[in-house]
Amino acid sequence: MIDWAWIGDHLDDLASRTLQHLYLTTLSVAIGFAIAFGLAVWSIRRRAVYRPVLGITGLLYTVPSLALFPLLVPITGLTDLTAITPLVLYSLLIFVRNFVAGFDSVPSDVLEAADGSGYSGRGRFWAIEVPLAVPLIVAGLRLATVSTIALVNISGLLGDRFGGLGFFIFEGIRHSFPTEIFMGGLGSIALAVAVDAVLLAIEGRLTRWTRTGPADARPIADARVAT
Amino acid sequence: MEVLPGIVRWFADPTHWQGPAGIPQRVLEHLLISGAALLVAAAVGLTAGIAVGHTRRWAALAVNAANIGRALPTIAVMAIVLPVTAAMDPQNGFKVYPAVIGLIVLAIPPILVNAYTGVSGVDRDIVEAGRSMGMRGSQLLVTVEVPLAMPVIVTGLRSATSQVIATATLAALFGGPGLGRYLVEGYAQRDYPMMFAGVILVGVLFLVLEAVFAFAEARLTPRGVPRSGGEARAPLVAPGRP
Amino acid sequence: MRKVRTLALGASLLVLLSACSTGGGSKPTIKIGSDGFDEARVMAELYAQVLENAGYTVDRAGIGLGTRDVTNAALFSGQIDLKPEYIGSGLSKQGGTPSSDPAKNQSELQAKLATQGGGITVLGYTPGQDTNALVVRKETADQYNLAKWSDLTAVADKLKWGLATDCPTSPVCAAALKDSYGIDTTKIDVTLLDACSSAMDDALTNKTIDVAELCSTGPEIIVNGWVRLDDDKATQPADAIAPVVRNDLLAKTDKTAFSKLLDDVSAKIDTPTLAELYKEVSVDKKDIKDVAKAWLQANGFLPVAS
Repeated sequence: MIDWAWIGDHLDDLASRTLQHLYLTTLSVAIGFAIAFGLAVWSIRRRAVYRPVLGITGLLYTVPSLALFPLLVPITGLTDLTAITPLVLYSLLIFVRNFVAGFDSVPSDVLEAADGSGYSGRGRFWAIEVPLAVPLIVAGLRLATVSTIALVNISGLLGDRFGGLGFFIFEGIRHSFPTEIFMGGLGSIALAVAVDAVLLAIEGRLTRWTRTGPADARPIADARVAT
Repeated sequence: MEVLPGIVRWFADPTHWQGPAGIPQRVLEHLLISGAALLVAAAVGLTAGIAVGHTRRWAALAVNAANIGRALPTIAVMAIVLPVTAAMDPQNGFKVYPAVIGLIVLAIPPILVNAYTGVSGVDRDIVEAGRSMGMRGSQLLVTVEVPLAMPVIVTGLRSATSQVIATATLAALFGGPGLGRYLVEGYAQRDYPMMFAGVILVGVLFLVLEAVFAFAEARLTPRGVPRSGGEARAPLVAPGRP
Repeated sequence: MRKVRTLALGASLLVLLSACSTGGGSKPTIKIGSDGFDEARVMAELYAQVLENAGYTVDRAGIGLGTRDVTNAALFSGQIDLKPEYIGSGLSKQGGTPSSDPAKNQSELQAKLATQGGGITVLGYTPGQDTNALVVRKETADQYNLAKWSDLTAVADKLKWGLATDCPTSPVCAAALKDSYGIDTTKIDVTLLDACSSAMDDALTNKTIDVAELCSTGPEIIVNGWVRLDDDKATQPADAIAPVVRNDLLAKTDKTAFSKLLDDVSAKIDTPTLAELYKEVSVDKKDIKDVAKAWLQANGFLPVAS
């Protein structure tokens, strides 16, 4: 079923496409994170904004990738920007929901104590709220990253140059060649496993001061989120 | 944007509302494949998630497998499954089943993980209280754990639904039915109004389903349980207490 | 804080790297595109490698972009500078009437394209031709006595058709079937798929469809023992392939040398060659780059040592 010879011949292509996949994922997630962080802070400060923010990012999330990628071509051309923009937009909903939930999860008595100890608004935010929100922030990061990894494949619709590992999926479909489809699909999973492990380790470092027990594979959920 | 009048004209054209390629037909097709996938995914995901959440066994395995499953590109699943299903049924096995199966794989992770998190996250004191009142495991599950986990479970179903509605458009890549046809054909024929119409219809479908979910959530959540599902600032209250 | 600084450094490095990739030499960068199916991609790759060998920098971003509508849009707006065009179908897309005379097709296409996107030039065309073919399984041909397209008229509604995604609006597809053969594609069972693709092949193999629109040079026709029906009313243009190039790119080059470079390659591509190249990519699953390189080396366009 699997053509091992093909895999052996194409190790360098697989490697370069994996790198492209990582590049697109990292850039998109970083930009999405930054934008969503700003949106989340805004939603916390002005509650009225949260519903519309959630609504818009949610609507963006449902624009089918099949449409969003090709529709951008006349606007942004055949560039990396065209590949990255949809990925950024899709990540916003996941990020914003989890960031806001994270900030909301900080118990009010802790906030009052901080105010009482003389923390300023900005100081309280960075010293108290953000660190306590870290578990949900990282949960959002893990979720967004994994789903971005899957979506990068669809950028292969734009042409041979894009798609990361998705190029192999489309090529495999074009030629009825299951080996290529498998490599593309499994590659995405392998990447997701690796990246998820890294993020989990980072979360472990950042929350070392909260833990009393071992940090095993904590489940990440769309749960615990106010809608 | 000159495309706007074109889109309005597209929707105003009565021929677009009739026939096998008309809007009602395509919306129905879209709902059917999405619904079929969600039903199966819910059956699998809820059963597995609630079971694991209740017994706490295999938790790490189930949940991590589900999360990694999110990275599986739906289109790859469709492409792999197609030769198998097409051999079984040349018509639906080519155009419909690959998409439905791909969507099932897509929908299970959010449903499963949320079901697990919801059920396992129920306040242990309440569960203990129930047990001390003489409730058996299954009784506890049905009358205590699941109702309290409802908001979280519903959030998972909601998330799965919005993903499936958007991704069901991929069915069109293999000649399948649904709103994706407007996207694929609109793109190939450079009929931007058609393409945008497809996007808008998917968005409308999403909004309608969100409204349905909001309504259902309000109905299904027992009184006293915070609707938002966040442990935020309100403590969980035992069921029955207003 | 250190983490933030490293991140910022990394980010700016990324930006720098991406900006650097557009640097050029003395020869301009050429953006090459092509339709999505294998034969078009191979042709584009042939041109790309020959140009690179001559010192040009080639940006392959548009290869495999999509259907003709999409690649034309990209060409006219300058997102790509060059693509291989099937001159008969291309002419038809521009509103002209193609014939079986490629020279005539070329000059008419040139006339149409001279005013598009700031002026487009059609370079020399290949002797080889690839036409749209309607193909059926042998059993179907036997059952309904099918040998030519006209034979389909009587049984059109009994068969399941697989046609290209742009067929409804394509003059050589839906319109041609209706006008010349009396087959109304809106009233029969039609599945729209990528023409000349594996999806179409799979659909025909699996009996999802009975009539498939494929490329005449497609190897799967012979491999599977399918029957190619004869277009007896000659509705399909004999499609020779020629590179179409934006004039503003040509202005940046030595036009004569540039044209000669590509014309020399095109001149050697006859129909058997097209079929062979197509087969190597589609059936043998070889990489397009390798197939193109091997052919160019074997025909003296590329040095063997590279």
